[in-house]
Amino acid sequence: MSDTPMNAQLEARQLSRHFVVRSGHGFIRPKRIVRAVDDVSLSLHARRVTAVVGESGSGKSVLARMLARIVTPTSGELVLEGTTIPVGSPRNLAYASEVQLVLQDPFASINPVHPIRHSLERPLAIHGTPKSEIEERAMAALARVSLEPPERYLDRYPHELSGGQLQRVSIARALCVKPKVLLADEPISMLDVSVRLGVLNLLRGLCDDEHLAVLYITHDIASARYIADETIVMYAGQVVEHSQGTALIDAPTHPYTQLLIASVPDPADPLRQAPEIEDRTGQGIFPAEGCRFAPRCPHAMDVCRTSAPPMFEVADGHESRCWLHEAAVKVSITGREQGGPISTT
Amino acid sequence: MDETMTTDASNAQDTVLEIENFCVDYGWGENAVRAVNDVTLSVRRSRVLGIAGESGSGKSTLVYAVTRLLRSPGVIAGGSARLTFDDSSASDTKRRTVDLMAASASELRSIRWSQVSIVLQSALNALNPVLRIGHEFDEVLKTHRRDMNKAQRRARAAELLGLVGLNDDRLSRFPHELSGGQRQRIMIALALALDPQLVIMDEPTTALDVVTQREIVNELAQLRARFGFSMIFITHDLSLLVELADDIAVMYAGNVVEWAPASDLYTTPRHPYTLGLLNSSPPLSGERRELVGIAGSPPDLSQPLSGCSFHNRCPYALERCSHDVPELRVLDDTGRKVACWLHETPDTVPAPLRRGPPRAAASNDTPVTARTSDQEVAI
Repeated sequence: MSDTPMNAQLEARQLSRHFVVRSGHGFIRPKRIVRAVDDVSLSLHARRVTAVVGESGSGKSVLARMLARIVTPTSGELVLEGTTIPVGSPRNLAYASEVQLVLQDPFASINPVHPIRHSLERPLAIHGTPKSEIEERAMAALARVSLEPPERYLDRYPHELSGGQLQRVSIARALCVKPKVLLADEPISMLDVSVRLGVLNLLRGLCDDEHLAVLYITHDIASARYIADETIVMYAGQVVEHSQGTALIDAPTHPYTQLLIASVPDPADPLRQAPEIEDRTGQGIFPAEGCRFAPRCPHAMDVCRTSAPPMFEVADGHESRCWLHEAAVKVSITGREQGGPISTT
Repeated sequence: MDETMTTDASNAQDTVLEIENFCVDYGWGENAVRAVNDVTLSVRRSRVLGIAGESGSGKSTLVYAVTRLLRSPGVIAGGSARLTFDDSSASDTKRRTVDLMAASASELRSIRWSQVSIVLQSALNALNPVLRIGHEFDEVLKTHRRDMNKAQRRARAAELLGLVGLNDDRLSRFPHELSGGQRQRIMIALALALDPQLVIMDEPTTALDVVTQREIVNELAQLRARFGFSMIFITHDLSLLVELADDIAVMYAGNVVEWAPASDLYTTPRHPYTLGLLNSSPPLSGERRELVGIAGSPPDLSQPLSGCSFHNRCPYALERCSHDVPELRVLDDTGRKVACWLHETPDTVPAPLRRGPPRAAASNDTPVTARTSDQEVAI
């Protein structure tokens, strides 16, 4: 891959998180293991936006929380600037000052009973900023997210601000401690359509100007295409497709990515046939063996139901977890128009 | 009862719901906040009216008020809404028009669900968590279809689930046992339980994944082709509406700022806000370039507004936009309407709002996938 010589700010190696749930009724309820995130590796680099796309239940938020060390991984390791962090060691301030998380709903993630000042100054105080600098740094953070003049916002309460402004405040709060990695978990999905672009442009600008490594988690594949330098598609806890740039959106090779793209309303292309989807099983139930997407896959073969596919390289810096690419010769991609068949020749 | 009903109106043939000069406030007296301002819209028989707008634009408030579901402190401050439907309860079917604002409680009860039904955004909140799905169907049918016995009600419920592609074993499930898409399908099946002529969908797919949204939108198109009901579809996703709706009304700060046939609105937006909304969604194809969206944020309606509600964010605002309120006016001979001073004189119209359709045949002759088959039903 083109970026291997560069050092990753934060790297996840074979990160997994399994949850044990008990289902059914009665005294002895059978245990079931939900593999929310299974063997995910990724690396975040300075000045790059890595987008993770997936529907709800694909494990993308659990992944973000593991990277922020709010959720403890079942297995796997995190490497922050070359230093391996032992599994099970407690989350500490030093880690939090390098890696910050921005959550989806700004109305819920900012304390409504305190003015904005409180939300910005508290992390600074916790991270040991001298008292004399606190206000100045809080104002600087607001200015960096284009909430200007900052004095106008510091003493306002969350209910006085709009959703877009509040999301900027929560980004400012994350930036206060000068992190190197910013994890943004669906930062625009709760915002009004007209202010979404502003927040996306802000993230892109911060990434370029402040040399941040940004993880952008979304279910909106078009917004990933707009902002990403590297794209990952997750399905049922696994990375199913990964590419540099937005190659996987322009030329999807995994049937799930094709389905995802074909489902997006696109008035520019009204004659596009909507995909046929057979699955009615509901979420969270995936086959125990074989490819997890097989029950919904229009191209499923016998091998898909018996053994789980590994990642196959389909192009330079573009991998796909699908048996269709096993022959690994020429793949004709007919992604966008039909959501339709991949033919291996 | 009689004064609220008229049997005939010249346009009753093709209009199901007619809303005129409708205003809704929240609060009373000096503290009143105008949430819906002088809205005039109509829903044609067997057609889909899309209402697009951001949160706070008054799109949900409008339909709640029109169906008289609005709760205090919401106040209907003026305007009228008339529903026209085929009344089959009497021995002979005849077309009736009911003034919804003057209708009594018992009249409303007879119209709701059987003529107008609503699908809400959050199916989880709309379904009673302690009742099985079958109970919800049973209750509706028991109330409105007194002649049905228990076995018939059960059969009807299973039939309705079949319509939305669900197995009838779901009837014995609780809402929490179902996925978001299944719950929303159940809401749609419930809304169709009494064959209403108008179904109002208030952001039915906003909380769902894009794949599930696509499934539900496809199913709605099939159901409409089969039963021919009219629909009001409310969403903030303009590109979804362009695929789904026949006409689209764009609302901003309580006003309808543009009304046009769906394809015209997409190819040739005439209001700066519509243009901004269309430019706010990054495209899935074509070259990647920086988009600007719309600067600023929607106005706070509790503060007095002067002039056009959009003038603060409008890149083309004229001097008069800050003090004169533009009216929704017919723009050209296609009947599309826009509320914008820029179109008052031809030379003030900026180039992006003057564009013609990209290619002559592109929009008018080719029906959108979602409504290919329902045209015949419309007759």
